[in-house]
Amino acid sequence: MKPLWENYFNKNKMDNPVILTLQTIPIFKDLTSKEFQEISRLVHKRNYKKGEVIFKKYAPGEGMYVILSGSVTIKDPDSGMIFASLSNDNFFGEMALLDEEPRSAQAEATSPSDLIGFFRTDLKSLIARFPEMGNKILLNLSQVLAERLREANKLLEENSK
Amino acid sequence: MDATIKIYRLLVGIIIVVVCWILLPYISPVLIMLILAFIFTSIFLPLVDSLERKIRNRGLSVFLIVSFSIVAFIWFIGSFMSNFGLQIKIFSEKLQKQEFSNSLITLWNKIQVMVPDSIINIIPESSDIITSLQGKLSNIFQNILGLLSTTGNIVFILIMTLIFTVIVLVEYYSFKRSMVRFIPNRYFEIGLRLIYNIEQQVSKFLMGQLLAAFTVALLSTFGLFILNQMGANLTLIIFIGIIAGFANLIPMVGPFVGMIPAILIAIMNNLGNNAAMGHYLFGAIPSPFFIFDIILMFIIVQQIDNNFVTPIVVGESTGLHPMIVMIALLIGGTLMGPLGMLFAVPAAGIIKVVIQEITFVSQNSHLL
Repeated sequence: MKPLWENYFNKNKMDNPVILTLQTIPIFKDLTSKEFQEISRLVHKRNYKKGEVIFKKYAPGEGMYVILSGSVTIKDPDSGMIFASLSNDNFFGEMALLDEEPRSAQAEATSPSDLIGFFRTDLKSLIARFPEMGNKILLNLSQVLAERLREANKLLEENSK
Repeated sequence: MDATIKIYRLLVGIIIVVVCWILLPYISPVLIMLILAFIFTSIFLPLVDSLERKIRNRGLSVFLIVSFSIVAFIWFIGSFMSNFGLQIKIFSEKLQKQEFSNSLITLWNKIQVMVPDSIINIIPESSDIITSLQGKLSNIFQNILGLLSTTGNIVFILIMTLIFTVIVLVEYYSFKRSMVRFIPNRYFEIGLRLIYNIEQQVSKFLMGQLLAAFTVALLSTFGLFILNQMGANLTLIIFIGIIAGFANLIPMVGPFVGMIPAILIAIMNNLGNNAAMGHYLFGAIPSPFFIFDIILMFIIVQQIDNNFVTPIVVGESTGLHPMIVMIALLIGGTLMGPLGMLFAVPAAGIIKVVIQEITFVSQNSHLL
């Protein structure tokens, strides 16, 4: 049974699926609810059909995507090798937040998908307007990339044995 | 099937162009307001963003920045108009007196001695000039009133532009997000990149121009102050400096516009002053009323601006070829008059960025 009285002022903020998804992403860890609201006003919600390419390999990278619903594969179109199959609350393309290097792989929707796009231009405007929040995101991003580097080193070490 | 779709698209395109062409006269004031609002937004956005960073309230930041700008603008126009009006009033009173008519005749006689006969014959008699001047000055306030009534439309456009600017500034990021929502997935990232680059170029260009205008205003005021020390007897030097700075925003034509008030005031203030009338620049070139001193001072300020200030603050990135600048100015001036000339160069800068980005996209089209 629905409660008779609801806090209508907070209703939209608490139920926003974009905020709920972003709260699970390590890049947005430690942000306050006000900061999440600010980010949810900046990010872009995009819909992709099954089989639609999100970005191609070697395309200039502009930012990262978070999967709101659906599934995405990250693959090498030349060899057909699949690097990762991702679904709800996963993210990809985060390296493009830091530099303008071409994409290292292709991302493709394997089912109808809703994605949240967070781009370098959004990050730059966040850093300009809310430096504290920008710093938190950059620190989290470097932690994610450091973790990836550590894993890659470990894998290299294991393969070289 | 493909050919049918192409023909259909072509027809739709032609219909849209024709409809826009028919509607253009009706929507052009709105378009002008939107373009002006876009330019003001680009100027105010960095200021609003930095104030928001400090006080953490966007609405209040917009209110403070816009209110401060309006108050400063009204103060400037108000005090300039009242001071300049006073100056004209004093001058017209002077002109009514016989001794100033005599001093004008003395000046005329001096000029006649210096200038060859072939040129003198073209110019009307001094008494004719004085009579016509006296007649015209008595009507000057009526002319100002007439001008005010015709500027009613401009005031309406300015108020609407201000409202648009405030709305866009408060909701800038949500507004931008709503606009990019319509970009197809395939072109989304490149579209964001294009918008960001245009924003950066326009913002950098406008801030650079404003900084250059500020420097020209400062240098001109300083130059006029030095001329005053040499006995030029100039008044309203801060206002003249600010006008010269803002006139400088219009390339090529602006610097000459900036000189006019200074020369006019020099003539008004020094009429009847024999020392000023017989002044020599560097003790060799005749410079009645310090006119050539003023022109030289403005040329020096222009050279400092063109060779040191503008290259540093505006930078090479927004640099357009002088030929393109001239063509843009001619087109802007033909379409919208002085206002068109003011906006011609930033518009040409935006077109340049769009062409650069289209080239980039066409080179990377296989990756989209």
